Amino acid sequence: MLTIHEISRHSGNYSWAVADLCSMRTNVLRAAAALAVATLGLAGCGGSGSDAAAPAPAPSATATATTLTMKDPWVKAGPAGEMTAAFGTIVNDTDADITVTSAESPASPLELHEMTMKDGKMVMQPKAGGFVIKAKGDHELAPGGDHLMLMKPAKAIEPGDEVTFTLKLAGGQTVPFTAIAKPFAGAGESYDPGHSMAPMGSAAP
Amino acid sequence: MTSRRHLLTGAAAAGLGAAAGAGLTAVAGADNVVPAAAVEPLTTGTATVPFHGPRQAGIAEDPPAHAAFVAFTLPAGTDRRALARMMRLLTDDARRLTQGVPALGDTDATLAPLPSRLTVTFGLGPGLYRAAGLKAPVADLPEFRIDRLERRWSGGDLLLQICADDPLTVAHTQRMLIKDTRPFAAVRWVQQGFRRSPGVQAPEHTQRNVMGQLDGTANPRGAEIDPAVWNADGSTTLVVRRVRAEMETWDILSVADKENAVGRRLDSGAPLSGAQEHDEPDFTKLDASGLPAMPDFSHVTRAHVTDPALKILRRPYNYDGAPNAAGRPDSGLIFASYQKDIARQFVPIQQRLAEKDLLNEWITPIGSAVFAVPPGCDEDGWIGEQVLG
Amino acid sequence: MRRLLLSAAVFVAVLAPSAPAWAHAQLVKAVPARDAALPSAPSTVELTFSEDLNPEFTTIVVSDVARQRVPASAPAVDGPSGTLTLGRPLNDGAYTVAYRVVSADGHTVQGSYGFTVGDPTPPVAAPAPGSAGIPPAVLIGLGGLGVVLAGAAAYLYLSGKRRRMTT
Repeated sequence: MLTIHEISRHSGNYSWAVADLCSMRTNVLRAAAALAVATLGLAGCGGSGSDAAAPAPAPSATATATTLTMKDPWVKAGPAGEMTAAFGTIVNDTDADITVTSAESPASPLELHEMTMKDGKMVMQPKAGGFVIKAKGDHELAPGGDHLMLMKPAKAIEPGDEVTFTLKLAGGQTVPFTAIAKPFAGAGESYDPGHSMAPMGSAAP
Repeated sequence: MTSRRHLLTGAAAAGLGAAAGAGLTAVAGADNVVPAAAVEPLTTGTATVPFHGPRQAGIAEDPPAHAAFVAFTLPAGTDRRALARMMRLLTDDARRLTQGVPALGDTDATLAPLPSRLTVTFGLGPGLYRAAGLKAPVADLPEFRIDRLERRWSGGDLLLQICADDPLTVAHTQRMLIKDTRPFAAVRWVQQGFRRSPGVQAPEHTQRNVMGQLDGTANPRGAEIDPAVWNADGSTTLVVRRVRAEMETWDILSVADKENAVGRRLDSGAPLSGAQEHDEPDFTKLDASGLPAMPDFSHVTRAHVTDPALKILRRPYNYDGAPNAAGRPDSGLIFASYQKDIARQFVPIQQRLAEKDLLNEWITPIGSAVFAVPPGCDEDGWIGEQVLG
Repeated sequence: MRRLLLSAAVFVAVLAPSAPAWAHAQLVKAVPARDAALPSAPSTVELTFSEDLNPEFTTIVVSDVARQRVPASAPAVDGPSGTLTLGRPLNDGAYTVAYRVVSADGHTVQGSYGFTVGDPTPPVAAPAPGSAGIPPAVLIGLGGLGVVLAGAAAYLYLSGKRRRMTT
């Protein structure tokens, strides 16, 4: 995987848009607050849940940026009612481990999922205990690995849509972010609810 | 790798062509004369062109060596909101890939790190504006009598001009962008072209086309580009025409015949009235017998524009497809020109050329398309936002 | 016989250096003729070539001894002929007719010749550049033959050839 450092190591006649790349990362967070209401204002799927569950209801990127950030988030586009998933890299810039206990979105009920080997094949299942992001570390959510599972989108998530999410942390803080929806042929993993059926985040009816 | 690099550098330094024998003899000399070349860092692959800005990239910069022009057709019923989603998605891909970063969900992320001056430039065709219920700033070109247009190379509702100094970078970018455009539009045509490779010539040298002519001598340069190309809001327009070169009949001409058709010396590119490539053609100059030194039917005579505001910025690429069984080539030029106003700048030139231009005997336009090129965007925006947002 | 020899000499001297042009359009008739000494001014110049002309690619100009172009219409093309209508009567003096035409295969053919009107000022033989031109060295090489004589022979030869071609 390419890093910014690899590019900026070299110098030449062309300008290096490292600043662009850095801002790309925070960009989504900034946009999140502005667009939280504007996109996919789906009714009844926990839009009210965030107010009820968290003492600090208004998602604010600046308030939470000191804990976790979500880098390069995206969600696989798909039709209404069909499971799909969101991906990205959760970055922990603090000196302490942080646990993501759940996530929610106005678009769909969510579960935190992991991929695991079962009977000789990879299946996904709810991640017990949530995602632990190590101090000064990051945690990649990617097709074939851990991801945020949209269990039942209320309506189709179209390519190019911007879908808002909120990560909930063990300490009670929230991390809002906005993911762009992409057409994606992969990430069609088979779902094995396994032993735990306790849905995390906002409960489906 | 290193020795090949030396060979290329040496050949360029010695002013030699691509002939292998000549290049080899140049190596030893070049190594002696230009030892600095040995420690020159490899920058071609990692070089980037900024994506963000008030104007789109891929227009005023010296063109990279490889290009893919990809045109799409929107299905009936496409609305403005879908177009906005499409452009937001493609902008996100382009801003990452051009900086050497994989697109989101890039299944071949290992191909992203060498952007090689990658640019992705977006053009919006008349049909896109119709779909959005907007008045288009560009209209299809009038028919020219020299045209033999084929549907498979013409029109388009959306255009992606993908340019980079490396063809694998272009291929990966094209694949990624087509995947993300597919939910919205069908691929209409793809035209892939090339120029000289990086390092072969000094930047900003005029390129040769497959017919051996220096192509683009009269281009506006530096500060001349602004009045010809950019509108105040950072927008411009693009004409893409596929021009087949009739190589078999071109081959039978003498050098003098070719020069009369073009109006320039083949070797130096100097106008027939002058001595250096960039000498301004003198259409009043007569030879000893009283004939104009610049034939009045030559391409340069007919295409010449003096008003800086009426010039066009040509950014052409050569194409060279597979020859047929008889060895006849499928070669020509992907003519691409940027200008403020197609009707005011491009059309009069093309009309003059269609009326009279000896070069028409050996070139045939077989494809044609026009696009509005919206302004660039910043980190928070997307290309086309001013139009569709 | 004499005519044949003269023609042969001119053939070698004039046509051989531009042998590739042999297959292309050639000037076969000119009115006024090459090196004609006209008692009165012509109002037109008509050049006839060995193949049909493309009007877009036909240039015919007449210049005076000071190399000033005589105002004239664009050449009217009819088959293999191009006719220039002069915009004003020519004063006495020497003039040069120059042409640049394009063969059907795209080959450019150009050349020039002189004629005089009235008081015979020596015609200025303008060496014409291009593939159909006559190199000055060749003219010198003609030795004892005068330029006028060579021109007349060329006319005789070419008009004879034209007759053969048209039968």
